[in-house]
Amino acid sequence: MPETFVIVGASLAGGSAAVTLRQEGFEGGVILIGAEPQPPYERPPLSKEYLRSESSFEEALVQAPDFYGEYGIETRFGVRATRVDDADKAVELDGGERLLYDKLLVATGGSNRRVPIPGIGLEGIYGLRTVVDSERIRAEIAPGRKAVVVGMGFIGSEVAASLRQSGVEVTVVDRNTVPLRRVLGEEIGRVIEGIHRDHGTQLILKDTVAAFEGVSRVERVTTARGRRIECDFAVVGLGVEPATELLAGTGVEIDNGIVVDEYCRTGVEGIYAAGDVANHYHPVFGRHIRIEHWQNALKQGPAAARNMLGEGGPYEEIPWFWSDQYEHNLQYAGFHTEWDELVVRGSLEERSFVAFYRKDGRVLAAVALNRGRDLRRSVPLIKAQERVEAAMLRDPDIDLRTLAGVQKTHR
Amino acid sequence: MAEFVPVSRADALEEGAVKAFDVLGNRVAVANIAGTFHAFDDTCTHLQCSLAEGDLEDATVICPCHGSEFDVRSGEVLQGPARAPVETYETRIEGGSLEVRG
Repeated sequence: MPETFVIVGASLAGGSAAVTLRQEGFEGGVILIGAEPQPPYERPPLSKEYLRSESSFEEALVQAPDFYGEYGIETRFGVRATRVDDADKAVELDGGERLLYDKLLVATGGSNRRVPIPGIGLEGIYGLRTVVDSERIRAEIAPGRKAVVVGMGFIGSEVAASLRQSGVEVTVVDRNTVPLRRVLGEEIGRVIEGIHRDHGTQLILKDTVAAFEGVSRVERVTTARGRRIECDFAVVGLGVEPATELLAGTGVEIDNGIVVDEYCRTGVEGIYAAGDVANHYHPVFGRHIRIEHWQNALKQGPAAARNMLGEGGPYEEIPWFWSDQYEHNLQYAGFHTEWDELVVRGSLEERSFVAFYRKDGRVLAAVALNRGRDLRRSVPLIKAQERVEAAMLRDPDIDLRTLAGVQKTHR
Repeated sequence: MAEFVPVSRADALEEGAVKAFDVLGNRVAVANIAGTFHAFDDTCTHLQCSLAEGDLEDATVICPCHGSEFDVRSGEVLQGPARAPVETYETRIEGGSLEVRG
């Protein structure tokens, strides 16, 4: 009896995993289930090129729509999986259908955090997660219209930039001192703040939204510190929560997402997880990390698929992402939550630098603005997790590629 | 009929280097892979970054902005986010001069 592998989550991680199963020669059943009606697509354009009407949806598709049928991948798009029965090895779908699996990959991603702000149910207030969300925001865009963007994480920052680039008057509200503070820290956040200000975005920082007001549609936003901002629409980007509901009641451990080992396996035999929803044990960093970015979905989905086939290995890609804002290209590699020194090569003022988050002399992560080549050259250094002298990191005449592996004796 | 256009002295582009030139109004990158010159569109098909500003690893050029990878010999995409290949061009050496067929 041939095996059946079920993948829940038809996005980049899930879609790529299905493709990998076939590319690796798996001949059993593959069923790909997705709550959204579209075939798997990539999300980075939704806050950027697609939002600005510069690219088409077809360009974002992981595979052409007929690919799945041609490769014998059974698809259930527009159908939500509601529950996993790990005792019977079955997935239950909205509508009552029950699919048996031999192995299950959960790649359900996340859902936007819902915040109980008064008036958030008014028309004209949007979150951004799906292509439909992006299209709704797109329909609001016209030069001279006024928007409030709530939250200056990556989604908020990119949306604010795209709206400005489209001629919208933008005011952002963020509770931190600078945009992107939580991930990138104060110094880098200040650079990002300057970029947004230079493009005419109004930034209201160290403040929070008290209420959205309006009759049926949002007309203004009020803040905790008493500001009133008139607007035609608003976009809320206050973070993501991993979509783990499916596994409630199973033996799978949930802690900041689905807990998996370095092979993307949960503690329950036959159940795997990948992508935004997976809290994965990363061998390089020696801890569990959960990554909500494109490259992780692209690479971890296939890694999980290979492990389902028993022919993979530990997943140890160094996390990496980009965020284009206005004419600037920001990139980050590695993983850090705390650091004791930020070492800069280049110039924050000139907006051309790579900066290293260092702890106990080791480079945990790097962020670059308009210096993608240097960022890429830093990845081996991050992977090596060795002590590197700050002076060498700073020196523009030292090729970063030569710094990994030179100080092994100091370990 | 496309003609060969001189872009540089051949010995000015060392092994493992990649550099962009103007060829009849097009930005064309030329990579020196073990002494052989490979020419291709400098403009990444994803979001138009200059590929010559990225690194060359063996015969792969890596977009500095979003990490797309192309085989410089065929122009084919080895790694997204780019989907479309880059155009490639013939090269030749004439009297020490590197030429690209535009």
